[in-house]
Amino acid sequence: MANENILVIGGGPTGLEAAKGIADLGYKAILVEKRERLGGTPDASGYAALTPDMRDAGEAMDEMRAAVENNPNVEIMLNTEVTGAEGETGNFKVKAKSAGNEVEIEAGAVIIATGFTHFDPGRETQKYGYYEHDDVLTLVDAEKMLKEGNFVRPSNGEKPKRVAFIQCVGSRDRQIGNEYCSKVCCGISSKQAIEVREMVPDCKVFIFYIDMRMYGYWENEIYWPAQEKHKVNYIKGMATEIIKKGDHLIVKGEDTTMRRPMEVPMDMVILAVGMEPSAGTRQVADIFGVKKNQYNFIETIGGALNTVSTNVEGVFAAGACTGPSDLEDCISAAGSAVMKSIAAVRRVAVPA
Amino acid sequence: MPIDKKQIIEKESAVVDGIELSADWNRMFEQRVVHYEDNDALDKVRDLDGAESIGWCYQCGQCVPVCPVDAVGEYGPFRTYKDLLMGVDLFKSDELWKCTTCMQCLRVCPKAVDMVQIMPAVREEAVMEGDVPEELQEAFENTFEYGNPLGESQRKRADWIQETGSEVPLMKDKKEADLLWFVECYPSYHARGKEASAALAKILNTLGSDFGVLGTEEKCSCDSQRLAGEVGLFEEFAEENIKTFSKYKFKQMLVTDPHALNAIRKKYPEYGGEYDVIHYTTYLAPLMEKLEMKNTLNYKVTFHDPCYLGRHNGEYEAPRSILRAIPGVELIEMGRCKEQSYCCGGGGGGMWLDGFMADHVSERLSENRVKEAVETGADLLVVCCPYEVSRFEDAVKSTGNEGKLLVKDIAELIVEAMG
Repeated sequence: MANENILVIGGGPTGLEAAKGIADLGYKAILVEKRERLGGTPDASGYAALTPDMRDAGEAMDEMRAAVENNPNVEIMLNTEVTGAEGETGNFKVKAKSAGNEVEIEAGAVIIATGFTHFDPGRETQKYGYYEHDDVLTLVDAEKMLKEGNFVRPSNGEKPKRVAFIQCVGSRDRQIGNEYCSKVCCGISSKQAIEVREMVPDCKVFIFYIDMRMYGYWENEIYWPAQEKHKVNYIKGMATEIIKKGDHLIVKGEDTTMRRPMEVPMDMVILAVGMEPSAGTRQVADIFGVKKNQYNFIETIGGALNTVSTNVEGVFAAGACTGPSDLEDCISAAGSAVMKSIAAVRRVAVPA
Repeated sequence: MPIDKKQIIEKESAVVDGIELSADWNRMFEQRVVHYEDNDALDKVRDLDGAESIGWCYQCGQCVPVCPVDAVGEYGPFRTYKDLLMGVDLFKSDELWKCTTCMQCLRVCPKAVDMVQIMPAVREEAVMEGDVPEELQEAFENTFEYGNPLGESQRKRADWIQETGSEVPLMKDKKEADLLWFVECYPSYHARGKEASAALAKILNTLGSDFGVLGTEEKCSCDSQRLAGEVGLFEEFAEENIKTFSKYKFKQMLVTDPHALNAIRKKYPEYGGEYDVIHYTTYLAPLMEKLEMKNTLNYKVTFHDPCYLGRHNGEYEAPRSILRAIPGVELIEMGRCKEQSYCCGGGGGGMWLDGFMADHVSERLSENRVKEAVETGADLLVVCCPYEVSRFEDAVKSTGNEGKLLVKDIAELIVEAMG
C-alpha cells in the first residue's frame, strides 16, 4: 500500500509553508529540521525585518511556526538530520539521526527545503578585510545589530557617521565561481540603509553598486524611498580596496558614472554577501541522488514552467536550495511543491 | 568643488623610495585628483522647498536628448544633477540660468524630477543673493518699477486700444462682462504684440463677444519672472491682480499669453484667486464656424506649440482646429510638434537672457526652431504666444531666411481670412 505522507526536509520559511500547505489539504507532513528550533535562516541569523514589506522577521516566523506546531497533520522532528534514503514515489524509506537516535521515516514523496548559506567574505578575491577590520561587516552582522536596535561601530561602540554598503560580494563573479546574481542583496542593502538612516539620522549612507537590481515592487517599495525619502547615496562603481587609516576605513574605488576615482573615509563597511547552497542542501541532494547545478544548488528540471521537480521522481525541491530566492519566491515555490508532491502520491495511491 | 582638469595628470611612471611603480599605482598617489564630496552641494539644493526631486535622479539620462538647450549647447537636468554630485555650487553657476522651464525633461523623466519646480526654488535663493545675470535683473527691475518687463509706462498700458480701430471696452466702465480679457504685457506694448491684440479685438467684436479689458489696472502676471526666481515679485503682483479682478463681475477669463494662463490657472488659486481661465485659441476654436471667411488663404503653414500652452496646459488641438477652419490653409507639422514641441527659448526668464545665452549656445533656440520651420517648406510660421512673434521674426532675419518665412499670430491669420 502506497504511503501518502509527505516528508519536508528543512524548517525554514519554505519548509514551514510546505508543511502547512500539506496539512491544510488534509495530508500528513513530516517536518524534519536539523536545528533545535524551526524558523530557518531568518531565525538562525536573527533577521530584523523582512524585505520588502519591512515586517518584523521574528513575528513573521512566529506566525509560520504557530501554523505547524500543535497541528495534528504535522509531525515535527527537531534536531534531526537525514542520513540516507531509498525507495520511490509512494514508498520512500528515509534514514535519519534524530536527537542521537537512528530512525527511519516512511513517506510517499519528499520536499527538500534546505535553503542557502550566506557567502563567506573571506573567500572574496577583492579581500575587503572582513576578518581583519572590526568595522567591516556583512549584511548578516548588520541585520543582527539592527534587530537589537543598536547600530554602532564594533571597534569602539560609537555611532557611525558614514556607512558604506558594497554590493555583489561573492556574487556575479567568475573568479569566485558564483556567476549568478544573488537577487536579494540590493533590496536588503537598501532596506538596511533605510533602517540605518532611521536609527542614526546623522549618518550618511552610501551604496556602491554595479547594477541596482530591485525588480517588480521592490523598486518602488525599497529603492525609490531609500533614495528619495531617506537620501541614501547610490554610487555606481565598486570599491576594490579597504585600508584602515587611523580610526577610519579608507574605501577606494572608481565612480564609473562620474568617471572619477574615489577615496572615501567610512566608519563602517557592510558587505552585501550573496547566497550559496547550504551544507544541508548539498548533503541532502547527494543522499537522494538529486542533480545539482555547477553552483551546487539543486537543479530543477522543468525550466520556467516547473520550478520544483527534480531528476528523481517523487523528490521535489523548493526555495533557496534551488538557487537565489527571495522570501516571496520561497513561499510560492513551497505551494507548487506541495501541489506536485500530493499529486505524485495520489497517482500511486489512486491509479487512474 | 569641481574637479580641476588641469590637475589631472597621470604619470607614465613614478619612482617612490627608489622603487618604480606601475602606472596603475602612481595615479593613486597624487597626480590624479582623488575626489570625494559629502553631497553638500546636492543637499543644499534638494533641501529647498520644491527642489526635493533633484535628488530622485537615477541617471538614466533621458532628459538630455529632449532638452532644447542641449540641442544648441550643453545642458540637461541629468548634467545638473551630476554637477551637484561633483560639488558644483549651482547657486553661483551659469548652469542655473540655462533652463527655459519648457517641461520637455519632465515629460520624459521616469522619476518625475521636476525642473519646473526646482529652477524657481534655486533661482529664488540666487536672486536674494543678487547672483543674477544683469539683463534678467533689468527685466525684474522694470517689472517692479513699471509693472511690465519692457520698462514701458503703466499709464500707456491701454494705449494699444486706440491703435486697433475696434472697440475694446474697459472693465472699469462696464463693471460686468462675460469675458475678462487679460491682455498681458507684450500684447499691450510690443509692436507686433499690439498687432495681434488688434486682430483678436476685431475677432471678438465680430463674434459679438461680451468682453472687457483692465487697461491700466492690469499688471504683469509675472509667471516668467517667477520661474526665473523672482517669487516675491510674482506674489505681490498676483495679489494686486486678484484684488483688481475682484472688483468686476465676469464669467470667464480670456488670456492672450500662455504664461499668464499658467500663472492664473495654476498659481493664483494659492493666493485666493480661482477663475475659469482659457487661452484665446481654446476660446476661438469652437466659434470659428460663426466667423465669415471672405478670403481663401493659399498658405502652407507650420505651427509652433508654445511650451506653456501645450506641455504645461495640455492644449494642442485648439490652434490646429482653428487652422483647419481657415479656407486654403495647409498645415505642415514640424518634426518636433505637440508634446515634443521645441522651445522658442523665451520661457522661464529666457526672454530676458538672450545676451547671456549667446555665450553658451551655438545658435539661439529660436533660430534652431526657425530652421526647422523653413525645412517644412511652409511660407508661414503660425504662433499663439506673444513671446514668439518677435523671437521668431528676429531668428528669421539672423538665419538669412528673410523673404522665405513669415511669422504671424494665429489671430492675425484669422483676420486676414475674414477680410
